[in-house]
Amino acid sequence: MLELFAFVGLPYAAILICIVGTVWRFRNDQYGISSLSSQFLEGRKLLWGSAPWHIGILIIFLGHFVAFLLPGIWQRLMAVPLLLALAEMTGFASTVLCLLGLTVLFYRRLTTARLQKSTNIGDFIVTALLLVQVGLGLMVAGGYRWGASWSTGTLTPYVWSLISFSPDVSVIRDMPIVIQAHVVGAWLILLVLPFTRLIHMVSVPLQYLFRSPQKVVWNNPRRNNQAVAARVTQESRRHFLKAAFGLSAAGLLLSVGVLDKLGRFFQMPGLHHDEEANLLETRLRRLQLTAEEKELELERLRSDHIYVAKLAELNNTVGKYFIDYSMRPGLAFRAEDGWPMLLSAKCTHLGCTVGNQVDASGRILCPCHVSYFDIKTGMPNDGAPAKAPLDRIAWVLRDEQGTEVATESPRGSRTGRLDPAVADGYSLYIVRSLSAEA
Amino acid sequence: MKQPLVSTLFDFIASRIPLHKLDVRHMITEKEVPVHRMSWGYYVGGLALFFFIIQVFTGMMLLFYYEPTVSEAHESVEYITHFVTMGALIRNLHAWSASFMIFCVIAHMLSALAMKAFAKPREITWIAGVLLLLITFGFGFTGYLLPWNQIAVNATKVGLASIDQMGQYLPAALSHLAEDVRVTIQGAPAIGQATLSRFFALHVVILPLMVFGVIGLHVLSVQLHGMSPGIEDKPRRKDKFFPIFILKDFKEWGIAFLVLFILSLCLPFDSLFPYPLLEPYNALGSTPDGIKPEWYFYFVYYPMELLPFWIIIVVMTLATLGLFAAPWIFKGTSHKTMRWIASAIAAYMIIMTLFGENIYHAIKG
Amino acid sequence: MTKTLQLLFTLVIVGNCYAYPEFQKFSQTHSGRPINCAMCHANGDGPEGASRGQIGSLTPDELNKLNAARGAFAPGVPIQSPILNAFGNNIITVIGKTKFLELRAHPEQLAEVYGYQSDLDGDGITDAQEYLEGTHPLNNVHGDPMRLFLHNLKAFRLHVTLIVLATIAGFYGFSHLLHGLSASASTKSSVERYP
Repeated sequence: MLELFAFVGLPYAAILICIVGTVWRFRNDQYGISSLSSQFLEGRKLLWGSAPWHIGILIIFLGHFVAFLLPGIWQRLMAVPLLLALAEMTGFASTVLCLLGLTVLFYRRLTTARLQKSTNIGDFIVTALLLVQVGLGLMVAGGYRWGASWSTGTLTPYVWSLISFSPDVSVIRDMPIVIQAHVVGAWLILLVLPFTRLIHMVSVPLQYLFRSPQKVVWNNPRRNNQAVAARVTQESRRHFLKAAFGLSAAGLLLSVGVLDKLGRFFQMPGLHHDEEANLLETRLRRLQLTAEEKELELERLRSDHIYVAKLAELNNTVGKYFIDYSMRPGLAFRAEDGWPMLLSAKCTHLGCTVGNQVDASGRILCPCHVSYFDIKTGMPNDGAPAKAPLDRIAWVLRDEQGTEVATESPRGSRTGRLDPAVADGYSLYIVRSLSAEA
Repeated sequence: MKQPLVSTLFDFIASRIPLHKLDVRHMITEKEVPVHRMSWGYYVGGLALFFFIIQVFTGMMLLFYYEPTVSEAHESVEYITHFVTMGALIRNLHAWSASFMIFCVIAHMLSALAMKAFAKPREITWIAGVLLLLITFGFGFTGYLLPWNQIAVNATKVGLASIDQMGQYLPAALSHLAEDVRVTIQGAPAIGQATLSRFFALHVVILPLMVFGVIGLHVLSVQLHGMSPGIEDKPRRKDKFFPIFILKDFKEWGIAFLVLFILSLCLPFDSLFPYPLLEPYNALGSTPDGIKPEWYFYFVYYPMELLPFWIIIVVMTLATLGLFAAPWIFKGTSHKTMRWIASAIAAYMIIMTLFGENIYHAIKG
Repeated sequence: MTKTLQLLFTLVIVGNCYAYPEFQKFSQTHSGRPINCAMCHANGDGPEGASRGQIGSLTPDELNKLNAARGAFAPGVPIQSPILNAFGNNIITVIGKTKFLELRAHPEQLAEVYGYQSDLDGDGITDAQEYLEGTHPLNNVHGDPMRLFLHNLKAFRLHVTLIVLATIAGFYGFSHLLHGLSASASTKSSVERYP
């Protein structure tokens, strides 16, 4: 029963009275629609009270309204931890501002005789309500953290249910008493709005923000110079203020979007066990490949002959790759007459590795710029980008006992004999002493 | 009485590097920048500097993780791209900003040429600028090798092999000179660890030290002399350097930054290559298809493929010498003619860069 | 020596070859991008040879996995062939060996049959689409540039918005900073300075 009154009856009554009361006030007491400012009675303390109070409460209002009016977007934004922390921090900071401001205002009213003469009961009600409400808000924020996030799922649907005339108290009835009190406080403030100085919310002179600066022209030169100097200071001050606002907004946005990631750039990425293992395995494999390459280099430095293949393995359709004494790729073929042919596989155009598949015309292809090389002569085709033929590579044939049977020099002159009966058992080697020196 | 050579020299330096103008009044408060139809050219140099600054910062960040060894280089770049927080963004910023920087440097050179900005007393600025152009290409060439994938190493091989080609024009006694030069640059007979180490040293230390010095001289010189007039006629108005021109310049930087950032965030540089080119370099395997140098070398690469090599040597030598000597060669040329010359060069660069491959295939079949 | 024996042993027992170049040829021709065997295989030069990821280098344990994979004729059998990468294994898992062999005559149909649900590298382009476009389905920074750009633009729209706003705010602030400095250094107000 009580909850129906507090969460359904009171809100509707408050909204109704607020609207009706404001209209009545506009029609009957137009000049009374003001903040009843007492600035001309006491200005100094007012600045220290009113400014923090208003700045704080406007930020808090903004946060509340965004959560109420745009719950979807707000919820998605609040899912980002940094943004949520930022919202929470802003809320707390604004509350501190509000409380400080209110305290100063309260103190100001209690200690200035001039003010007390023009204070009425409405002012006390307003101040008390606001203090309590802000206090309750602080207790909610402190006791039930991350309200920016949970409010979109609880209080926002409640408020929307009221606005859409299908009030639903199921969420709010189970909330802690502090939160319920805060909600009730909000409705009460709405209720008293038309009857107190709070009515100034609807008559804020926004056009004041965009008024053009006043320009006074003095006849008197001294005054004129003073006025010009004042204008200059004013103008530069305006610029610096806008500069501070712009740069801090930029800084804020950067810290939200980029700076935390920038910090994490320099930290170890948090890898999963498996990921780390795979990474290390790939690294290890690359190291092994490098080690294998270095072993090939070492072999070429230490041995004066390197094994290429058994003569039986070679043919004239697919070449076998090997590495020569200069660590360049080479191709080994066997001609129809049974003799081996060794060619450098480093294209004489721009150094790509030539392919090992021999086409129907007895040529191998360098895929980079399409040069065809005849495997018998090493000559490139007419019009090929490569102009020079592939180098021949000298070789030595040894039989199964290791005796040298035949050899070919880098210039192509052969010595020795090839016995076709046992040729298949021969092994092909490249020899350092015969390898063409650069 | 004829002036002694030394005093002529001093006069020359004093007028070309007017240090007496190094005060707040000349440099800031009273400096003005003309506004005319070529004044877009006044911003291109600043953009080049902006992209260079991005390169320095992203490069330094990449240095934290990159390992300049043949077994680790490719893996470290993969690590940066896939595992380090924001690593992919930093790497892409570096790759895209490199291309943007080179584009701006070339555009800046052409617009300065068109505006006759090399005219007296700005000769030293111009010469420093041509040096910077060459150093920038050096940055591009050395940096390209560092990821040590198929495209990196093979494109570098192709580039260095053009040095060998010069050997065919040398007399017999010097027949090995070209190859020796190439092997010295490579550090070893074949491209390998020696090459990677020295290219890394060049890219990260030697060229930066050089470029900081030359940029310092170039920017100081620009600020001392102020912006060149740019056209023959009187400009319709002049902007105050501080704060109007600086703010316009920074606005361009802001737009450039946003374009670069969004591109780097959303379009990985790797996706522009066929994936076999991104695999780690394999010295003992075959070369994949599609090897070619980076786009900023197309203007010399495709002509090299199409024409006899000696033509390329002659044209490139003349062009480089011509660039250095431009303040004296084009001393008497009108601004209008300079604009035509610069436009012709720009047209050649654009056509050869965009359509070079098509032209090559059309001619070669 | 042992490796060669193993290779011969496997060849003798199992018989036919391991590579299906029809698919590579189709992908390359259809997309216009050069590709190699690494799209589906563990080794870029293909499954035949003695290097890592090729038949000649397999341990007995890996050979068992290979044989199990080669017997996965029906779809839905998860396999882990050591000569295939994750995409290659997924193809056989999803469509089965029989269907795969049928598709050799119609490699263009592989994308349809495999389906457009799977995106193994999470770059916003489905594996089947990457097969048709010749980009690598296991590398999330490799894909058709336009598709990647649009996908990432959507995924990073919060960051793009933040950086655009930060740049605008920063420029606004910096601009007013310079104007302020300029104003405070001069003795005339802006109306008199910039008529």
